[in-house]
Amino acid sequence: MKDRLEIVASGFGGQGVVRLGQVLGEAAVKEGLRVTMLKSHGTEMRGGYVRAQVVLSPETIDSPMCENPDYFVALSSAAYNRFKDTVPDDGVIIFDPAFVEDIDGDLPCTQKELPAKQLAVDNFGRPIFSNSVALGAMAKLLEGDLGKEIILDSLLEVIPKFHEENRDAFQVGYDYMS
Amino acid sequence: MKRFLETGNFAITEGAILAGCRFFCGYPITPATELAEAMAQELPKYGGVYLQAEDECGAMHMCIGAALGGMKTMTATSGPGYILYADPFGWALGCEMPLVVVNSGRVGPVSGITGAPGQGEFYLTRYPTQGGNFECITLAPNSAQEAMAMVVEAFYLAERFRMPITVLGDQLITDGFEDITVPENEDEMKEMGFRTYERGVCTGPEFYPYTDELDIPPVQMGSGHGGLCSDWTPTVEGYDIEEVEAHHKHAWRLIYKVRNNKEVFNHLYEKKYMDDDPDLVVVSYGTPSRVVNTAVDRARKEGLKVGALRLINLWPFPDEHFTRKTKYLAVELNWDGQLVREVERAAPKDAQVNFLGTCGDLPTIPDLLETFEKLLKDQPLERKGWELEAW
Repeated sequence: MKDRLEIVASGFGGQGVVRLGQVLGEAAVKEGLRVTMLKSHGTEMRGGYVRAQVVLSPETIDSPMCENPDYFVALSSAAYNRFKDTVPDDGVIIFDPAFVEDIDGDLPCTQKELPAKQLAVDNFGRPIFSNSVALGAMAKLLEGDLGKEIILDSLLEVIPKFHEENRDAFQVGYDYMS
Repeated sequence: MKRFLETGNFAITEGAILAGCRFFCGYPITPATELAEAMAQELPKYGGVYLQAEDECGAMHMCIGAALGGMKTMTATSGPGYILYADPFGWALGCEMPLVVVNSGRVGPVSGITGAPGQGEFYLTRYPTQGGNFECITLAPNSAQEAMAMVVEAFYLAERFRMPITVLGDQLITDGFEDITVPENEDEMKEMGFRTYERGVCTGPEFYPYTDELDIPPVQMGSGHGGLCSDWTPTVEGYDIEEVEAHHKHAWRLIYKVRNNKEVFNHLYEKKYMDDDPDLVVVSYGTPSRVVNTAVDRARKEGLKVGALRLINLWPFPDEHFTRKTKYLAVELNWDGQLVREVERAAPKDAQVNFLGTCGDLPTIPDLLETFEKLLKDQPLERKGWELEAW
């Protein structure tokens, strides 16, 4: 893998932004990597802004900031607009159209639509599993850096409930990106 | 050793328990709430006690009570709670009670921004209470792993110096996740450089000796040997009194037991590229120092002669690092400039001392590099938006 892999996820409180970063970080620890994850948030438990900045590296990590994220998971229009320009040309933005309305077509980076909320509602009748869908999609994109099964194991460890649905939702996201 | 991904709050809890902490009393506040949660979860497993107080003032008072009862104890908060420690902090200093206080800095003043890092309590950790005539020790880690280590160290210093020690972190350290390695036995603790010190009991006849000596065990209520827990001046024998000469001797001890024993903690700093007389020394502590390290690496690759000095022991301020006449840049998570004032005081009078402050977010590497270049070319630091304020 690269010397340093940066992943940013940002959206509202309650969407699972921090959990998403935590699961990827946990998987990276299992892969023997060094990990930092900063989280910034508002006062509210739900509805406020949230951002998780994850850095993975085989070496000790100095700056824990994601200044040029390789992957940016955008789960609100505000987050998309605030961080879209930080993604480098070879970076990837993953956005959920249920939350991000206007897409900037002029960006040089790759942009991938991931209707995680819709896929969760269609498959499981509840939007709560959209986070596991997003993690499955990330597992596909991170292939080569983090093992799919290791990410799934970490997801099941971090989220102790609804293992069957989370496992299926993870696969739905993985297949969507494949 | 076990290795896993956890928050700094959890890492601090692990460190406290390793150091022998068995009593925690606090009041939840972002970004140290999870520390209280982790303590509530973990302490009972070790026969310890977790107590939520009615407020921070009560919390630290109860920690003093537990310390007087012979327990190793800790409390944790953020800036708005740390200021409420003012009253019991003075009491703990005056009665020489060992305890550990964690402050996870967020953006102030008052409630400010809860979920973002701040460094507004640099001076407050030096002057946490009224009255003067005391010295304080403050340790500032820059990662979850180091926060665990510095909490262990703080317990060690608290016992040896018989006083409350502040561990000053920030929201990114306590709330952020990081891979942490936790020692599982005493050998592994030693291997990781963790120092511990057992609680002793002062058996007299001198309970508050007027010396600058360390390693005098604290008084303990119920030990059969008496002890004092008063807000008045203690005499040598452990009675309280309001008398000028006794107070002079007591105040001298509170100041000089720290000032005359700095070698116990003044190795706590980190220097990078400082061996070739750099033209610019970047001074920082806490999380910003990690961005500074990366920026200084890049500056060196571009041929800029920049060095980085990271302070871990903030108080007493380590003046010995600032003897060279060169350019200094203090990087802080505040806009008013606090560390920079101490750098300016400690540096030679004709040294050039500069300031880069941010409010709520870490400085960016491009901003740091631009600032280094300007300072090395003797260009003024212009105010750019709100982000950069010339000192």
